[in-house]
Formats: sequence, C-alpha cells, structure tokens
Amino acid sequence: MPKGYVALVLHAHLPFVRHPEFEDFLEEDWLFEAITETYIPLIRIFDKLIEDGVDFRITVSLSPTLMSMLMDQHLQAKYLKHIDKLVELSAKEIERTRWEPQFNRLAHMYHYNFTEARRVFVDQYKMNLVNAFKHFQDRGRVEVITCCATHGYLPMMEVERKLSVGAQVKVAAQLYEKCFGKKPLGIWLPECGYNPGDEEILKKEGIKYFFVDTHGVLFGAPRPKFGVFSPYLTKSGVAVVGRDTESSKAVWSAKEGYPGEYNYREFYRDIGFDLDYEYIRPYINGDGVRINTGVKYYKITGNTNHKEPYIPEAARDKAADHAGNFMFNREKQVEYLAGSMDGRAPMIVAPYDAELFGHWWYEGPQWLDFLIRKIRYDQNTIALTTPGDYLKMYKKYQVLSPAASSWGWKGYSEVWLEGSNDWLYRHYHKMVERMVEAATQNKSAKGLLQRALNQMARELLLAQSSDWAFIMKTGSHVPYAVERVREHAEHFTEIYDEIKEGALDEEYIRMCESKYNLFPDIDYSMYSAA
Amino acid sequence: MKKEESGQGTQPLRTREKRQFRFPPGYGDNRIVLLVRDPWWIFSYWEIRQDKEEDTRRKIHDSGDAPEKSVLRIYDVTDVNFNGSNAHSYHDIELKGLANSWYIDVGKPERSWVVDIGIVTKKGNFYLLARSNAVKTPRYGMSDQLDAEWMASEEDYWRMFGLSGGFGVGKGSLEVREMVKRRLEEYITSGVSSGASFYRRPSERKFWLVVNCELIVYGATEPDAKLKVQGKEIRLRPDGTFTLRFALPDGQQVIPVEANSSDGIDYRRITPIVTRRTE
Repeated sequence: MPKGYVALVLHAHLPFVRHPEFEDFLEEDWLFEAITETYIPLIRIFDKLIEDGVDFRITVSLSPTLMSMLMDQHLQAKYLKHIDKLVELSAKEIERTRWEPQFNRLAHMYHYNFTEARRVFVDQYKMNLVNAFKHFQDRGRVEVITCCATHGYLPMMEVERKLSVGAQVKVAAQLYEKCFGKKPLGIWLPECGYNPGDEEILKKEGIKYFFVDTHGVLFGAPRPKFGVFSPYLTKSGVAVVGRDTESSKAVWSAKEGYPGEYNYREFYRDIGFDLDYEYIRPYINGDGVRINTGVKYYKITGNTNHKEPYIPEAARDKAADHAGNFMFNREKQVEYLAGSMDGRAPMIVAPYDAELFGHWWYEGPQWLDFLIRKIRYDQNTIALTTPGDYLKMYKKYQVLSPAASSWGWKGYSEVWLEGSNDWLYRHYHKMVERMVEAATQNKSAKGLLQRALNQMARELLLAQSSDWAFIMKTGSHVPYAVERVREHAEHFTEIYDEIKEGALDEEYIRMCESKYNLFPDIDYSMYSAA
Repeated sequence: MKKEESGQGTQPLRTREKRQFRFPPGYGDNRIVLLVRDPWWIFSYWEIRQDKEEDTRRKIHDSGDAPEKSVLRIYDVTDVNFNGSNAHSYHDIELKGLANSWYIDVGKPERSWVVDIGIVTKKGNFYLLARSNAVKTPRYGMSDQLDAEWMASEEDYWRMFGLSGGFGVGKGSLEVREMVKRRLEEYITSGVSSGASFYRRPSERKFWLVVNCELIVYGATEPDAKLKVQGKEIRLRPDGTFTLRFALPDGQQVIPVEANSSDGIDYRRITPIVTRRTE
C-alpha cells in the first residue's frame, strides 16, 4: 500500500473558434497548434504507456467547446491541411539546413513529429481526437471529466444565477454523456471560479466532485482538518478537491518552475518570425502576418537575447531530472504528512492547464511520461490516483463550506473584472434575463420557434466564455474577443426581437445555426423559470 | 487578424431589417447590480431611467427640500433580512460625472452588502433610485469554526494549513501564523494564473539583431536528366530547372553539381565553391 497519492489533473480548454467563411483564420490556429503540440503528444504518451503495460491514473478535463471543435468536420478538414503544410515545411527545412547539422537534426525531429501527428490524427483516431480520450477512459487509465459549456466564469453570473450556471453545467454534462456514454464524475470549474452554493447545481447533474484553489479549502468552514490533502464533502454531498501549492509552483512558477530550465526549448524563437519572408510566406497566415509555425531551433540558453541551438538529448535529460525531483518532493511531502492524517493516505492534487504541456513547455509531455513511469517503477511511497478513485477509499469525509475563490491572479475575480472587461457584465446579464424571459414565455415551442430559442441559448453561452474577458485583460487578440461578444449579442438580440415581434426569419436563424453549430442537442427550456 | 469584415455577408436573404448591433449604453432599465471582486472590493454597475430620476427630484422639491448629491449608499447587511433600515451600518460614496459603474472598497471579508443608488437632499434625506442584489465577500483566513467530529489541536490545524500553503515542513504554529501574515498574499499571487498560453503576450525583448545568410543554387539541364547536388539526387521541375536553398554557415562549401543524360552517355559537372566569413 502506498503511503499517499498524487492526482495529476490536466485541464484542456480552448474557446470555440470556427470560421467556415474564411479559408484561413488566425485564431483557428490556437486549436491547430494545441492539437499538434499538446493533445497529440499527450495522446502518443498515453498510448505508449498502455502499450508498455504501465499502470497509471490521470484526470483530464475536456471543455465542451474544445470537444465540439475536435468533433467538427470542418475544423478536422482544416487541421489536416494545416498539418500537411507543416510536414511540407519541415521537409524543406531538412534540405535548407543541410550544412548546419545542429539545426538539420532538429528539422528531422520536427518532420518526424509532424508526420506522426498526422498519422495519429488520420489513421489512428479517424480525425476525431475525442475518441482517443474515450479509449483511454475505457481502458481505465484516464478519468475524463467535464467543464462548463463554454468555460463561463461562474462567479460573475450574479443575475438569474441558478438558471445561468445551471445551463453552463447541464449542456456540459449532456455533451459528456453523449460522447462518453456515462455521466461525468467530476467537473473543472472554469478558472476554479467557485461561488458558494453552486455545488447544488452540480449535484443536479449527478456530478460527484469539483476543484477549488488552495485557499478555497483552507479558508473553508469549519476548519479543514487535513488541509488540501483530502477531499471534503460540501453540504450538498458533492466533494470538493483543493489544489496543492507546492506541486503547483514546481511547474507553474516563472521563477522556481521547471519550464524555465535553460536547456529547454525557447518558445519565442520560431522560424515563422526568424526566416526570410519569401521563404516562409506559404506557411504563415493568409494575410501574410508572421505567426508561430511550431518549428523552433533554440534553447532558452539564459536570461539573454543570444540563443544557442536546442539539444533534444540535453533537454530530455533535464525533463527526466525534473520528473525525478517532482516525484522525490511528493514522496517527502507524503512521508511528512503520514503521521497527521488519522491513518489516512494523503492525496496531493496537482492541476495544470493541458496546453502548458507541449505548446508552452515543449518538454512537458516528456516530463509527464518520465514522471508516470518513475512513480510506477522507481518507488513505493506514492501512487497515482484520480479524485474519483480516491473518494471511494474512505467511508467518511469532513463536511466543509469552501470559500469563494479562483485560481486566477490574486486568487479571486480581478482578472475577469477590471477596467478592460467590466463593461461586459451588464450585457451578459441582460442577455440572460432576456433568455429566461423568452424561454419562460415560450414553453414547449416547436419548429422554427424552438430552433430560434435554442440558437439564442447557444449565442448566449458562447458570449459567456471567460476567454473573452481574459483576452481583454491580457491585451493580445483584443479586437477579436470584442467582436466575438458583439457578434453573439447581435445574433441573440436579433432573434430575441424577432420572437417578440412574431416575425421569425428562417434564413437568419439558419445562418446563425450554421455558423455557431455546437451543442446540437441543446434544449432552451433549461432557461425557463418554473 | 481577418481578411475582411466578418458578418452575415454570405446570407443576403432577409425579410426583417437587420441593424448592426452595438453595445447600448443602457437597456431602459432602472437597476443597480453588485458583483464581488475579492474579499475587500465589490463592483457595481447601474442604469437609472431618466423619468424615475426626474420624478424623484420633483418629489424632493415638492417636499420643500432640494437635491444635493447623488450617492451610492453601501449597507452592511450581514445576517440581516434587509428592509432598508436594519443594516448594521452604511456609508456613502458621492457620484460625480457620468459614472455608471464603481469599484467599492468595502474592506471586509465575509460580510454581506447591499448598495442603494439615490439622492441625498440638503436636509440630509435619502431618496432611493434603485436597490441592488445582496452579495457576500469571501472569507479570508482560517475559520474560527471548529468541527467536533474532526478536531485537531490548534498546533495541528496550523501545521496543516502551513503545509497546504506551501510554507515548508517543520514549522510550529507561531511561525506559520507569522508566515501566513507575511506570505498569504504572496502564495495567492504567485502568478499561477491559468489562461491559455495562446493569448499570452510575448515578453518584451530588448534591442537585438540577428543576421543569417542563405545560398540559392539554381540551374537547368535536360528535363529527363539525372541531377545530383553534393552527391544527393535532386528532382527537376518539368522544364528541367531546379532551385535549392541552403542556410549558409561560416566556412567553405564545395557544391558539386552533376548531370547525367537519361541514356547515360553525357555527363557534366560544375562545382561552385562558396565561402562565408562573419566578422
């Protein structure tokens, strides 16, 4: 029996970005980059672990917008074109760098990885990567959990809270059940944004647990006896799981975190920016704006603009060292805790944004692979678990009211509520009120009216993505974020007015449906007041 | 970002006149809404209908009084079923200019708040324009409430708290309390904010310069000839031309280009030699 458990959690999310009206759309690249650099590398690792018979457990949350994009045929076709171009570019790079062996071997590495990505995408998972995660869940290795429908930030849903939050959770749970054939055990609250009482809404969808940041548990009442090293039950019966600070810092922290290692790959030196314009032109955005291609030849090197060529073997050694260090620290943590847990085995919960792995921290997937294998074979103190598994271990858990919190900067809502984005909420709240009004006045609508109401619900949910407020705060891609909220508000308001006037325009509704086509089974009546 | 304006351009069929939606300054409502930012600050936005405001001002004048200022009146309504006059305390913030939202420094975690927007008269009376929803600021710090079933010593609670917060091992409760005071803020603000790395702003680079050289080797032969460059076979274009592009490092490159006719009879060899030197 291990003395303690580690629950690794990867939260995968991207906002719904799909523009069939354009052949080439800059913000769609978020998905394509994430597929190539994060999702497929993770899938390759999980596949290999299973092939090698390594026993492991990990939790992955897939946001419903991400799942919807991964299942969308239009985006799948576009990704295929995207990865084909990368295969072509990397082949050219093998030729171009022939006289520079230090880069030539990297060109070969990228060419292999892109070719592999294509194989995994097309041949292995038939263009639909949600299948991969279903496979891992069915094999008992990955606990796939859900997230809110469009990653709406729940603490700001102050108007019609029950219906507004309820819709975000219900749509998520329904999509999950459709794809995975059962109800989601757990949910990742967007940005860990917890508002006391929302757990009642989770309970209605059969959800068993959710996550909060460290202080959500520590500041909970009554005093939590086991810190963040045990789940607690809220009064609703839904469990709450708190993030461990130490293991978070090791990976996240800009100062102390592993990703800052000098041998790791430098993110900002990409051939999309570095190479001659004429040469790279066919592989960047259709507008001719230079972008990241994913082909990067340098290592972080140091706190300097001078960058040395990346050496994969040296980086790999560091990833192994860092995995060993992470494991060692968890063992020490568990040994230290063992005497204070009334005989229980502590659980250390380490959640990360999935896109950190591979996209931002290139060696992240390798680190994870080493970590999983080391934990399995190199020691006996700790074992991997998932919150779902751990909750079955004991009959009783302390009952706790967690404190309102988020995992954003400063621990509360300041990222999503500040000068650049606070203007959004009066519009969001109005839309919610109008949605509730329209749904309540038109119960059991059929035909076109039903389609109109369902589309209103989609547009409202899409407008609520926390990503738009986040982008406004961080300052890059702001015009796109503003335009997206505006466009959803426009579609929503137009349909709302049409319903009120009894003048539904089928062409217009069809246009909205085809442009924002996610959640095909959505049912607007979830917004209807009793 | 986009090649052209997005929109509904491809779907011209419309029966009802569609107007481009712009975020309106208001929706014709008379309301004030509160949101919680953190344990110490709340945010309010409001919209007051003109007729409501005029009506109120008229009432004030009719009572022989005069409006003096517009205020937000912030009530502490913790554990109170608020009826307008049973708050624990209140304070006013005077509104100036055309503000339609305000960040309010309530300064107290774990308290409940309601905000009225209204007019204070010369005689000191308050006329309500709109009343907000009630919100509660988050608890900040360890709860005083103990769980009889899950008791621990004071020392153990603090130890667990310190370990969970990443303060390190082997610290006694006094030390942890001190560290909590100093570092609680720090661990919460340790910059672990989520946020997809996709819309992360690149870190600003200092002034820099990169110079690289590339060499283009090109030529032509019979379209059906076999061509080798540095011993490696090269595919010709249908018209017999070829172009190769190499990153050119410092040093000398000897680049033999060899062509063989398809019948194997003719052979030509040309060898450019290129030297790059960087100073």
